[in-house]
Amino acid sequence: MESSKEAWQQQLVKCIRCGTCRSVCPVFQAVDNENTTARGKVKMIEAVSEGKLELTPELQERMGKCLLCKACATGCPSGVKTDELFLSARQALVEKNGLPLLKKLAFTGLTYRKLFDTGLRLGAVFQDIMFKDAPGGRGKQARFPLPGAGLNARRIIPPLAPTPLRRQLPAINPVEKPQARVAFFAGCMLNYIYPQAGRAIVDLLRINGVEVVIPPGQCCCGTPAFTSGDYETGRYLAAKNIEALEPGGYDAVITGCASCGAALKHEYGQILEDGLLKDRWRKLTEKVFDISQFLVKLDYRRHLRSLPLKVTYHDPCHLVRGMNVAKEPRELLKAVPGLEFLEMKDANRCCGAGGTFSMVYYDLSRQINDQKLDNAAATGAAVLATGCSACRMHINDGLQQRGGSLQVMHTAELLAQACGIPQEVVK
Amino acid sequence: MKQNTALVAALRQAVGDNFVLDRLEDRICYSFDATFKDGLPDVVVKPASSAEVAAVVKIANDYGVPVTPRGAATGLSGGAVPLQGGISLVLTRLNQIIRIDAANRVAVVETGVVTENLVNAVNRAGLFYPPDPASAKTSTIGGNIAECAGGPRGVKYGITRDYVLGLEVVLPNGEIIHTGNGVDSEMAGPDWTMLLVGSEGTLGIVTKIWLRLVEKPAAKQTLLSIFSSIDDAATTVSKLMASGTIPTTLEIMDNLTIRAVEEYLHIGLPVTAEAILLIEVDGSAAAVAKQSLHVAEVCRQCGAGDVKIAATPEEMEQLWKARRAISPACGKINPTKISEDATVPRSQIPAMVRKVKEIADKHRLKMVIFGHAGDGNLHPNILTNKHDTAEMERVDAAVAELFRAALELGGTLSGEHGIGYMKAPFLKWETGETGFDAGKKVKAAVDPDGLMNPGKLFDVQQ
Repeated sequence: MESSKEAWQQQLVKCIRCGTCRSVCPVFQAVDNENTTARGKVKMIEAVSEGKLELTPELQERMGKCLLCKACATGCPSGVKTDELFLSARQALVEKNGLPLLKKLAFTGLTYRKLFDTGLRLGAVFQDIMFKDAPGGRGKQARFPLPGAGLNARRIIPPLAPTPLRRQLPAINPVEKPQARVAFFAGCMLNYIYPQAGRAIVDLLRINGVEVVIPPGQCCCGTPAFTSGDYETGRYLAAKNIEALEPGGYDAVITGCASCGAALKHEYGQILEDGLLKDRWRKLTEKVFDISQFLVKLDYRRHLRSLPLKVTYHDPCHLVRGMNVAKEPRELLKAVPGLEFLEMKDANRCCGAGGTFSMVYYDLSRQINDQKLDNAAATGAAVLATGCSACRMHINDGLQQRGGSLQVMHTAELLAQACGIPQEVVK
Repeated sequence: MKQNTALVAALRQAVGDNFVLDRLEDRICYSFDATFKDGLPDVVVKPASSAEVAAVVKIANDYGVPVTPRGAATGLSGGAVPLQGGISLVLTRLNQIIRIDAANRVAVVETGVVTENLVNAVNRAGLFYPPDPASAKTSTIGGNIAECAGGPRGVKYGITRDYVLGLEVVLPNGEIIHTGNGVDSEMAGPDWTMLLVGSEGTLGIVTKIWLRLVEKPAAKQTLLSIFSSIDDAATTVSKLMASGTIPTTLEIMDNLTIRAVEEYLHIGLPVTAEAILLIEVDGSAAAVAKQSLHVAEVCRQCGAGDVKIAATPEEMEQLWKARRAISPACGKINPTKISEDATVPRSQIPAMVRKVKEIADKHRLKMVIFGHAGDGNLHPNILTNKHDTAEMERVDAAVAELFRAALELGGTLSGEHGIGYMKAPFLKWETGETGFDAGKKVKAAVDPDGLMNPGKLFDVQQ
């Protein structure tokens, strides 16, 4: 606690309370309450550090009402690292007040890789008992509200894949005369929910002469745990992943999920304590690339065929602000012959998902998502491409709630299609 | 405490449970604006209409608690800080643009409309609302009126005051009046509207506004003039204004500012220059071309080493990017930036620049000079650290001397930030004893119980 207070001080003193955060925070713009702005939260943390406010459950609730979309951090004229500050505050609050029981159970589950895997595979078999197919075929809808899990009966979640990605593919996916050998960090959502996007990533790498290894020891990147303030689980998972990805002398570690990528490349830096493991992680970060960053460096254009589609792109927070990736996916999409790229208004504004945020504040996250859907619809695009499975799920849910013909795809899937790689059609 | 419970219950009754916040966590979030002092409100209230504002004010009267109105609380003189607790009255739910009347060039808006939203809506209607405070993305029109905000375009177009035609105001007793009118701001009797603009919520709460709109200029052009002497740059400002061309904006940046911005942006600013002037002219295409040449000529006559005229919109944008980057760039040097607002007649700019440098040296402070030189509003900014108590004492002394210097040169305490609590102790220097006394009497007549935004303007403990 004392050490985190010192780290807080350095950021707190920088806030000039100018209120610029009011103009960029999606949550503030929806609720118009200063307790959701970055400067409001900075002020509350300052009050804690000055002993004027306790680490109350009510404070924990206010710190939780944040998408961690980093818009305030990027937009701050004084360069306050609000994202790191709020994460650190969440950690201090969890240390004091603990986690809600269901989060505690869920995060414990993440640490038992085999158990987690078995659970989700069984889930794929038994999901029809709790969920029914949603009309329109976009996914599943709960048969009854599951409020404990943060599920609203209206909410559409995608079905769990009958066979997860990592059971569909071997650990080593060789190519003849490889020009590079990479590790693919699949993450949970590509593995269990959108394996077709994971396959597209592996296929794209292979047709470009890259051998793809899917190291078996990898597990959840830890984002849901450490963003909820559970650093302990986050550290445990980080260590497991560093151990899985470090050996093998890979030329690169490829991610296809914005949150996994941002965690591996930057955010572990905040949760890991100084020491040997952190040094090892630092070396690893140089090799972490989002699939779009890696593809643009290859001679990918020679495979592209005509794909006459109108496409728009949504910047996931953890790609555009977490990994500084925005131009690469656009370059890839614009390179496809016949594809008409249509930029949407505020493409880099959060879609409202925010991980566990959308479970706790479903209506609010829908309200924020509505703007995204309006902006996407205004382009007249048939397909919305994005690089984050959580965004994809949330946008799809919105389309189901409001109706709309937009199809949501991972950038890699669209590209694989343009390269003539056969695919399952999954919404 | 019992008193507070009854107050909160009455407020909930008036505006609804969801719009009354009394938990400590939330009150902390409404205890500040963009200045340094805090004032914890006892309760935060968010009415949705002028009728609800009036109801809240009446309740405040019943319970004898102070009311501090606020919009986005981006002010730089402390107008929105609830210094004496009581009610923080948040006006952002009154956020409707009621009408943009293109034929009569009038906009009717509620007080909580974000300035930029109004500017965009006016633009779409083919017209122009010129005031452009730096906080326009966030600030509200009501706040702009309360503090009489300005902006770079003030040189040519004037400040918020020059666009207010009429107001709907909730008086300190909870009654509602209208001042001015929506046509030409003429009214029978004295100009109450002007009394209320800049009154910082001490005389009443503005809830609805009639604003004057103007024609959108067809073209604009940006120039950058580079000076090896800041005196020459300062002289250019007064020469230019006297010579017939009134630029839209005329911004000055001194060497420390130039270096900070270049360090931050790496866009090739002249780091050895002692000062640069960033000048924009607007009007018809022909007028813009003529004015640009004239501006360049005057700059050269006054000793500019180089004058660059932006050739493309991208180049123009690049130049303004440098101006907008000053705040973050200075933030990298020192964490705390105290932005002062003392303003002098344009002809006195060279003298004021010398004075500012003298004061900075005397108190061993890092001070950058940038701002709206065209209307004498220099914005000397002190870069410091609010936790360095010894240095902060020197800052206080320097600020007082800056005000003194500005007034001695025939200037004013505030170009566009207002008085708030920060400059209230100095107000008498500007008004004189008699003027200050008159101000206090006006305040006492309109707000006999002194409940409206106490601790600001004329209500100051000397």
